[in-house]
Amino acid sequence: MIGGYLRELEAELGAVGIRGSLRRRILAETSDHLHESGDAARFGEPKLVAARFADELATSGARRVAFTSFLALAPAGIAYAVLFGLIRTWPDIASAKLLPLAIATAVTIVLAPQVAFAAGVLTVARAWRLRSQTTAPAAEIVVLRRRAAVALGSGATAFAAVAVYAYEYSSGLPDWWATTAFIVSGAALVSIGGAAVALARNAQLRAQAAGPAGDVFDDVAPLLDRIPLRLRGRPWRFCLLVAAAVAAAAFVAGGPDEGPRNAVGEFVAICAAFAALGRFLGLRR
Amino acid sequence: MRAETLKGHLDFLLLAIVGDEPAHGYRIIEALKRRSAGAFDLPEGTVYPALHRLEQSGLLASSWASGSGRRRRVYRLTARGRRALAGARRDWRGFTKAVEAVVA
Repeated sequence: MIGGYLRELEAELGAVGIRGSLRRRILAETSDHLHESGDAARFGEPKLVAARFADELATSGARRVAFTSFLALAPAGIAYAVLFGLIRTWPDIASAKLLPLAIATAVTIVLAPQVAFAAGVLTVARAWRLRSQTTAPAAEIVVLRRRAAVALGSGATAFAAVAVYAYEYSSGLPDWWATTAFIVSGAALVSIGGAAVALARNAQLRAQAAGPAGDVFDDVAPLLDRIPLRLRGRPWRFCLLVAAAVAAAAFVAGGPDEGPRNAVGEFVAICAAFAALGRFLGLRR
Repeated sequence: MRAETLKGHLDFLLLAIVGDEPAHGYRIIEALKRRSAGAFDLPEGTVYPALHRLEQSGLLASSWASGSGRRRRVYRLTARGRRALAGARRDWRGFTKAVEAVVA
């Protein structure tokens, strides 16, 4: 009786992605419990027990991974800003060792950190919203993991690009800057890699709870409710507002020479990113 | 008592039981039933995911111990768990006092 129950529970745990040492521990605890109580029926259906484990551990684990990802990216982002703030004279774009690669790298250095920042903030916003839930719908957890994955992937891409940039333009940059760029990139990639491993482990758990994934309006509801623009339920209006705000900041920061070009670039990039990633990241339904 | 009613308070109850003394899953469930005079009689398998989650959150810690010829996982409160339990007790007493004042 107990053996049969444990075999069934083992299979159900495997079906929801719980394997290895965690599954062995759950089975050992269950075996001890059943030997004590002698009543497998009171323990619950194996399928339901396995689903409960997956739901609870996936929810709390995904939330923790979200904050870990943000903690990995935030200092890296500050280091990134300081690193580029230290450049007094930018190297001539044509001085690269391999110009097409250098141009692609320069574009990546501008765009990837912005994607990482936006996805990272959205990750924390969703994790914060789920902070008091013991079991979140599986769809919510998927969105949380996707956001963390995009944030970490973009962050890793940005720092890989920094290292390539330092190499490509080593003749036009001070030696100390290139060395610092390599060290900072290496440290950031290790930190981001650690968070990515935690995310990959959590992604093995397949939560079962039903329910909608929500959208960006659910994530930032308290903030949106202060803006008298009837944004709720209008994701593209929200996107255009954010794009316009960022474009205005880029216009001011860029000055009369580069401001207009930067503003248009930011506006188009944000709208394109929203179109490409909006559904994937749970920004719109 | 319906499981749904208990759901929101399960973490608090588990922390309170483990806070009295370290215990393994079966003993925790028995204590929950005994101390509530049978009112908190949950499907037993649903308590273990909560214990694992509380451990994952750093409120509980656990280790293997031998007892009755079997290995058992014994749970105990962490320092963070003790603080969470104290906060939950404070909130609960304030809440019940306010409810009592209204409905009495």
